[in-house]
Amino acid sequence: MMRRRQFLQALGLGALATTLRSGPSTRSARADDTSPRRIVFYVQPHGNIPNAWNMQVPGGPMDVVAERPLADLLPSDFSPTLRPFHPYRDRILAIEGLSHTAALADIAAVMKAGTGDLNNHQIGVADVLTGTRALQRPGTYCSGGAKSIDQELASRLAAPGRFDSRVYGFDYIPNSMVSPFSYLGPGQASPMVADPSAAFADLLGYALPKGGGKTRDDRMKSLRPSALDAARTEYDLLAPRLDADGRMKLDQHRDLVRELELSLSSGSSSRCGDTAFDSSGQPMRQFMRLIRLAFACDLTRIVTVCPPVPQCPELGYPADATFHVYGHQSIEGHTSCGQTYSPLAAQAMTDLDAWHAGHVAYLLAELDSVKEGTGTMLDHTLVVWVAELATPTHQHHDVSTLIAGGGNTFKMGRYLRYPRTLPNPIGGEPLTGPSHNRLLVSLMQAMGQADTTFGLTDAIAADGTNLSFHGALPELRGA
Amino acid sequence: MRARLAALTLALAAPAVVAGCYPEYSPDTSAQNASVGPSPLRRLTNEEHLNALSDLFPGVKVTLPTLPADATVAGFDNAAEAQQPSDVRISRYEAIAAAYAHALVGDSTGLPALLGCSDWSTPALADACARTFVEKIGGRVFRRPLTDDERNRFTARFHGWQIAVDFEGATELTLSAMLQSPQFIYRPEPAPPDATNGRTIALDPFAMASRLSFFLWRSTPDDALLDAAKNGMLTTESDVRAQATRMLADQRARRVLYSFHRQWLGLDRVLLDEHAVRTPEVDLGWTTATQAAVMTETQLFIENTLSQGGTFGDLFTSRRAWVNGDAARVYRINPLPEPSQWTEVTLPPNERAGLLTRAAFLAGYSHRGATSPPVRGNWLELRLLCQLPISPPPGVDFSQPKMQPGDGPQTNRMLFETRTKPAVCQGCHANLNGFGFGFEHYDAAGKFQTVDNGLGIDSSGKINGTDVDGAFDDALDLSAKLAVSKTVHQCATERWVRFAVGRAPDAVEAPMIDALAQHFHGSQGDVRALLVDLVASDTFRMQKVVREGSSP
Repeated sequence: MMRRRQFLQALGLGALATTLRSGPSTRSARADDTSPRRIVFYVQPHGNIPNAWNMQVPGGPMDVVAERPLADLLPSDFSPTLRPFHPYRDRILAIEGLSHTAALADIAAVMKAGTGDLNNHQIGVADVLTGTRALQRPGTYCSGGAKSIDQELASRLAAPGRFDSRVYGFDYIPNSMVSPFSYLGPGQASPMVADPSAAFADLLGYALPKGGGKTRDDRMKSLRPSALDAARTEYDLLAPRLDADGRMKLDQHRDLVRELELSLSSGSSSRCGDTAFDSSGQPMRQFMRLIRLAFACDLTRIVTVCPPVPQCPELGYPADATFHVYGHQSIEGHTSCGQTYSPLAAQAMTDLDAWHAGHVAYLLAELDSVKEGTGTMLDHTLVVWVAELATPTHQHHDVSTLIAGGGNTFKMGRYLRYPRTLPNPIGGEPLTGPSHNRLLVSLMQAMGQADTTFGLTDAIAADGTNLSFHGALPELRGA
Repeated sequence: MRARLAALTLALAAPAVVAGCYPEYSPDTSAQNASVGPSPLRRLTNEEHLNALSDLFPGVKVTLPTLPADATVAGFDNAAEAQQPSDVRISRYEAIAAAYAHALVGDSTGLPALLGCSDWSTPALADACARTFVEKIGGRVFRRPLTDDERNRFTARFHGWQIAVDFEGATELTLSAMLQSPQFIYRPEPAPPDATNGRTIALDPFAMASRLSFFLWRSTPDDALLDAAKNGMLTTESDVRAQATRMLADQRARRVLYSFHRQWLGLDRVLLDEHAVRTPEVDLGWTTATQAAVMTETQLFIENTLSQGGTFGDLFTSRRAWVNGDAARVYRINPLPEPSQWTEVTLPPNERAGLLTRAAFLAGYSHRGATSPPVRGNWLELRLLCQLPISPPPGVDFSQPKMQPGDGPQTNRMLFETRTKPAVCQGCHANLNGFGFGFEHYDAAGKFQTVDNGLGIDSSGKINGTDVDGAFDDALDLSAKLAVSKTVHQCATERWVRFAVGRAPDAVEAPMIDALAQHFHGSQGDVRALLVDLVASDTFRMQKVVREGSSP
């Protein structure tokens, strides 16, 4: 309950971090790596254009896992979307061919039930970080059906004096409802901060004066936690008088009040010293710098980034176009109901993927600029780039995934291609690769958890085959 | 209008005596058969939280951090099921409470009024003053008299802080603590300790005051409401009807009239970034000021129509409008003498009626460069008829259909007819287009047009899935038919109940909703009468006792 009571324990990584900046580090400098201690999820709306994301695996057979080492490749050998990652090629693992099989199973189940929200966007948003069936709500769109992986890790890795997690980004409204990716629980959106300066204020809000301070203002500031303490007492006393639902809400609230009180009292925000907010560049870049700052001061270890869907003119496309519409026209040979392929749309979605890649690469550069131990902050951080859908044409199979950083947990420096040999939960749909849920298991294990499943554990293919989502993907470790 | 309003008020205030031309709604008063759904703990929404602060402390100037958005369910921001607390929210509450308390106590001229005493120069006076303050401000912030234990706890805290800082500092910290307490941030309705599990019981009068005020005013109760609770004047159905009638005549009721319709109908979609621009071909003059103006126009239309005696049907048929220069331009009204002022006008006949022909809806449910009949039709089905969301099959082309080289001139309607002609599309598009084509006289900026691509516009369509099914000529005809539709009144009623109770209606409430809807329709769409009926219903006035570890 009072899980932050021992908040004065060692601050862990914060002590290792320095603000020294440097260029990309070398492999030999990272010999002390064990496992990542932080994780960033970058969750892209829509999906990726395979032709621009995928890389060739020369001589690699199509029916088994194939891989291509990246170390000796030139930038021109990289696919257009992945090219910004060339400087970090020894620390990325690009994965082609996973499948949002849990989403497909969900769609199949809703189709079978004959009722519910079947929109591919809503199901995709609900599934990508939860790995489970969406929460269907009467008379409206569905929502996430369980705590998402970022929040699950946030709960498990919670420690005194730092935020469990931060969610930065922008509302995503694929239909007429805001559709969040990160969930505290079924149908419970995680709070997202859309204003980088507010996010900065959260991290470094107000540094409490040491020893209570000298001026009246200082004394008042140092007593703010005691007002929280007074409020906390009220939660304690009221909760037992309510029913189970009310008691749970107030208990959760009470714990969070207590955590804020302890965080403020512990002076954790003062670990970053007199850092000033840097408002230069677009908001996404500001968030990436904030992540570096938060990690350097150990103010959180888990961040989820929800980038916006930019307006078309931002990427040089006409104002009357939208990326959603381009998405539908972006893959040749995928037609239905009068669809026409448009090379312009394919280019637009490719540019959009590159725009996201630019943000992720910028984050890698930020993390790699902070020396930590004998390596850099990037070596102790996993950066995971996933998308809501597999492709912009609303498919859920043939997913593109990128993992970066993370020390020795995964065998980095590779392009990994999974074969599509598994039957689809939906009849008449293409064969798929392994379930994205097993990636989530791999990430849980990489973060030191013993879980062997995450979200749905199994599904039944349309042909009756049992599809197991158990276990990590051994190939990610090079096995 | 005034006479009608007076008659209405009388009818509402004395329901047992004055029966209107429609049957009086009477809830089932037999407690154990009552159609009372669950009452989960509700947190103040962001709107309610900020309204409560500004109503408690009018005139305070303070810059506040932004609360994380309330998660919406079915478009509504007050669903109890989606109110799990989070660390960001808690830290925002802390900052808001601290900022408000600092601003209030920092204003030395207002301090005596805040405290309820003006002299704290001696220890004895200060002690008395602290007790008065805790009692007075606590009662307003917590919306009920403090218990002895609460009074003692906050007074003890006050004294501690007074020693640590000073009297003013203690006032500030005590207020900050109260504004972060569950008695303020939540709306707890604990059942009496001796209440039997599973029983349906009358609500505590102070809890009833909060239910009324947060529903009808989106804010905290006023003194009159708290006094009524204290004096036992909030227990009978007629007490509740009388208070609700009083409250609906207050300016604060404009909040619920707008807030509900904004959320039910998704009218603020026009404020999204994607609607900040219109292509030059559609509207050269569209700016972010136009975006804001058409939203305000719709807000004033709803608030003024319904608070000045207008009916639900008027929302679909009235041509009254309140416009500034930007909105007047969209509606092609002669330039206003004072373009920055909001002026009442009558919109052009044969072009405009109510909400379905106003720019906030028409532009908000268009693309930047073109209209989309299916998008508008889908809105109508989902929002106005309470139909379930439609999921297009995978891979459907959502792009705007365009003329191909060599084709003759075609209207937007013709292009969509061709696009959605395949049988696989018609399953849904027969209805979507049936509604959506009705709006083709309005372009993507909401401007009226008579010609599309050089051709005349056919805005005829077909209503399906209602009690007023059949062909219609245009959006005016469609609006007139929907304005009297039982289906639309039923949908509105169901959504009002959802909004009032902060959750999806329970199965046991279905008969109550049907009765309310029937009455609403029979009253020619008297929204204020519906709201009075709703708050007089069992589910609003009672609670089902749920003890932990046992199910009722």
